[in-house]
Amino acid sequence: MVDTTKNTKLFTTYGVKTSKAISTEIAAKLISKAKRPLFVVGTGVLDPEVLDRAVKIAKAKNIPIAATGSSMIGFVDKGVNAKYINLHALGFYLTDPNWPGLDGNGNYDTIILLGHKKYYINQVLSATKNFSDVKAISIDKSYIQNATMSFGNLSRADHIAALDEVIDLL
Amino acid sequence: MSKLTTGSFSIEDLESVQITINNIVGAAKEVAKEAKEVKEELGPMGPTPFPSIATLRDWSFTLFDRYEPVYTPMCDQCCYCTFGPCNLEGNKRGACGIDMKGQAAREFFLRCLTGCACHSAHGRHLLDHIIDLFGEDMPINMGASNVIAPNIQLVTGRQPKTLGELKPIMEYVEEEVGQLLATVHAGQEAAAIDYDNKAMMAGYLDHVGMEVSDIAQVTALGFPKSDPEAPLVEVGMGTIDASKPVIIAIGHNVAGVTYIMDYMEDNGLTDKMEIGGLCCTAFDMTRYKREDRKAPYAKIVGTISKELKIVRSGIPDVIVLDEQCVRADLVEEGKKLKIPIIASNEKIMYGLPDRTNDDVDAIVKDLVSGTIPGCVMLDYEKLGELVPKVAQAMAPIREAEGLSAIPTDDEMKALVSKCAECGECALACPEELAIPAAIAAAKGEDYSALEELHDLCVGCRRCEQVCNKEIPVLSLIEKAAQKAIAEEKGFVRAGRGQVSDPEIRAEGLNLVMGTTPGVIAIIGCSNFPAGTKDVYNIAEEFLNRNYIVAVSGCSAMDIGMYKDADGKTLYERFPGRFERGNIFNTGSCVSNAHISATCHKVAGIFAGRNLSGNLAEIADYSLNRIGAVGLAWGAYSQKAAAIGTGCNIYGIPAIVGPHSGKYRRALIAKTYDDSKWKLYDSRNGSELAIPPSPEFLLTTAETWQEACVMLAKNCIRVSDNNMGRSIKLTHWLEISEKYLGVLPDDWWKFVRSEADLPLAKREMLLKMLESEHGWEIDWKKKKIISGPSIKFDVSSQPTNLKRLCKEA
Ligand code: SF4
Ligand code: SF4
Ligand code: SF4
Repeated sequence: MVDTTKNTKLFTTYGVKTSKAISTEIAAKLISKAKRPLFVVGTGVLDPEVLDRAVKIAKAKNIPIAATGSSMIGFVDKGVNAKYINLHALGFYLTDPNWPGLDGNGNYDTIILLGHKKYYINQVLSATKNFSDVKAISIDKSYIQNATMSFGNLSRADHIAALDEVIDLL
Repeated sequence: MSKLTTGSFSIEDLESVQITINNIVGAAKEVAKEAKEVKEELGPMGPTPFPSIATLRDWSFTLFDRYEPVYTPMCDQCCYCTFGPCNLEGNKRGACGIDMKGQAAREFFLRCLTGCACHSAHGRHLLDHIIDLFGEDMPINMGASNVIAPNIQLVTGRQPKTLGELKPIMEYVEEEVGQLLATVHAGQEAAAIDYDNKAMMAGYLDHVGMEVSDIAQVTALGFPKSDPEAPLVEVGMGTIDASKPVIIAIGHNVAGVTYIMDYMEDNGLTDKMEIGGLCCTAFDMTRYKREDRKAPYAKIVGTISKELKIVRSGIPDVIVLDEQCVRADLVEEGKKLKIPIIASNEKIMYGLPDRTNDDVDAIVKDLVSGTIPGCVMLDYEKLGELVPKVAQAMAPIREAEGLSAIPTDDEMKALVSKCAECGECALACPEELAIPAAIAAAKGEDYSALEELHDLCVGCRRCEQVCNKEIPVLSLIEKAAQKAIAEEKGFVRAGRGQVSDPEIRAEGLNLVMGTTPGVIAIIGCSNFPAGTKDVYNIAEEFLNRNYIVAVSGCSAMDIGMYKDADGKTLYERFPGRFERGNIFNTGSCVSNAHISATCHKVAGIFAGRNLSGNLAEIADYSLNRIGAVGLAWGAYSQKAAAIGTGCNIYGIPAIVGPHSGKYRRALIAKTYDDSKWKLYDSRNGSELAIPPSPEFLLTTAETWQEACVMLAKNCIRVSDNNMGRSIKLTHWLEISEKYLGVLPDDWWKFVRSEADLPLAKREMLLKMLESEHGWEIDWKKKKIISGPSIKFDVSSQPTNLKRLCKEA
């Protein structure tokens, strides 16, 4: 098993609270147990190996995808429920209890993060972290300090292996 | 005898005598008469001349009602005062009582105020300098226009005609900057939204300060004046001929550099030496004395991202600094390669000895011998002589020693082999570049990955400082990219200054009807997510689609660095007028004022609205009718936050790059809340439902492709006529399909009748309206019978301002 919890090194910090490093098992459990999850992917997901895993994760638990940035093009005809939304707007809407969500059924309790620029997602998550109760689970290659829980910093090979483990556990 | 006014005065030679005059017979009459004369001269005055903090608060709050402040704090803590540091995480309050949102808003406001202070202090310096040279009575000359200072007129109500008349404008900005800065003190303003209003104020003051700066220099320094055919300028690191002595100027304030250029011209040195610049001083060097369209000899090297790269190359023989975007490690870096640094502006003195009062030849001697690494020189006459002399003296010495930080082939091999691939550098890199993998490839003599990093790297040196093996990562990247750097040669059109009144008259209707699909203004500095080509790609996409592309500053430079298959830059392919399918460059950073001013001019000249002291009404007009969107795609600097926020209060939305979430505050609307998408019809005060565009005033995008989709969508305005809406929808839908692979989800919200539908897709879209949205279609006539929630009435007068409604 990949140890996804060991390297949580930061170059700069956002202050007092940083995310808890989690294993692939915990990540899979949290994703499975979420009542109303949203899979928030960034343009980094267009890397074919990552895209393949993202589609599998979405399909495994029938999780809707918020395709941010220009990631949407990767999900056309993939048999998943993906919609484009701007990441910054999404971060704002997640803090609004009255947001009807991407499907009209209301806001989400858990977001799962993959394929983001570290500096961008951390900034957007500084809104959800401080101004909402939404749980942010990052399964990205880098440690995302403003998520609620996150993988640590991983090599590319370890990251792909960790995503495969999560898929097996779902 | 000069007139006496109320106040105090002292009489020379009479110590301890002061006479105070409290009242003068007839003084009130005099003042009233003067005021009346001024009023007659200025014409009708709007409700808010010379606004202070509270004056335009209602308008800010009207905007915030739809475009809500979205806070993304940079840090959980506040450490402003010694009560702290305080943990504000989860919107807690600090010891002084401020909460996290308030602190984030204060931080954002401070960024805007800093940017505003930079531009207006620059303006003050230039204005004083230019008045010293040419006198207060020099008439302002901006080209073929009557509306010569739209930002100044909009904010203050004044219409300055001479340089001297810019002085009270500058004084007003300075006073308000002081008032605003005071509110940053701990335990002052309580509500986040009031800091947001102050940020808006810093924004419009910024545009006034920028306008003063550029008016002064365009008027007095022979810059192109509203000239669509301003000459082309060479741009890129590869344009500098290193075989000649090389002067490099860095910064934003051209005042001192003009003396260097005069000296070069007077002494026949322009073809014997090279002079190039980085950041906006570079632009203004190429505008200096170029109103006659003669090709500039000064060259533009590039943006702040290139500062360290040009130093490491060893090309400069002397560097002269002025103010603003100047790296803080140039003396240290210059010293290693014997490049003297001359600081020419009090704002940056760099710890260097002040040699302003010394003899030029004595200073040259000390610099050449290395006794001092550089110096401060505030006397411009001396600066003009000193810098070329130093370059000439240093060039042969530096050439003989072969000074450059770029490793030789053998050194390169040794350095890459030292790398432990530990990943520390990648963690430190603000651009998250895959440095270790690139170095690993270089161990096998494949330098292509390292070479690719050159364009993505912002030249910040953070990687080098964390490397335990002391590998000069940036120099390795530059070594790998030597060939690409030598080929970095492009063209940019020198700044043209303002858009002229006749151009506005010719284009205004197309813009307001939407038949010119929009104005895309690409501004700000480099910190692009996928390299300098991002801005070229965006500009090309919209030029090919007949939008008007406005550019300025460092973005204008980066756009000029790329060529099509025929070897032509966008500036060579597309003309420079304010007209659809044109790309016009207003000039340097302070010339951004002319971009916002273009919107004011459309409202004033085309629509005949009163500009003077009438900010809210004009901004309301722009927001509802002018499809203009700003893009500060890199936006590293505080100045970009100020420029963007100034645009926001003027009713112009702006997109910033993914790094710019770090500014901490966006303005984003809830597209799903129908109660926010209503206006008044000023004919009778009735409510008008409007489509959700623009859907933000300030927000970020992740990639240039996403930005293209957002730009196209947010050019849609309530006033578009059917043809205009159909054109705008065509582009938005096509761009969305091109870059996202799908039609947007919400295109149907913008359809008022079948005439709004893009021609090529009309049949398909009608089918979708029927099957997916339950609209009734008359298929024989291909008409929509029912469905749209918004209506189109050519003669409606949309406004956010109840006071403009007839009934009110
Ligand atoms: S300004 Fe307020 S929140 Fe900040 S450190 Fe001082 S007491 Fe704490
Ligand atoms: S920090 Fe230094 S040793 Fe480590 S990967 Fe980067 S260049 Fe190599
Ligand atoms: S100098 Fe370039 S590679 Fe190094 S940290 Fe800065 S951006 Fe990254």
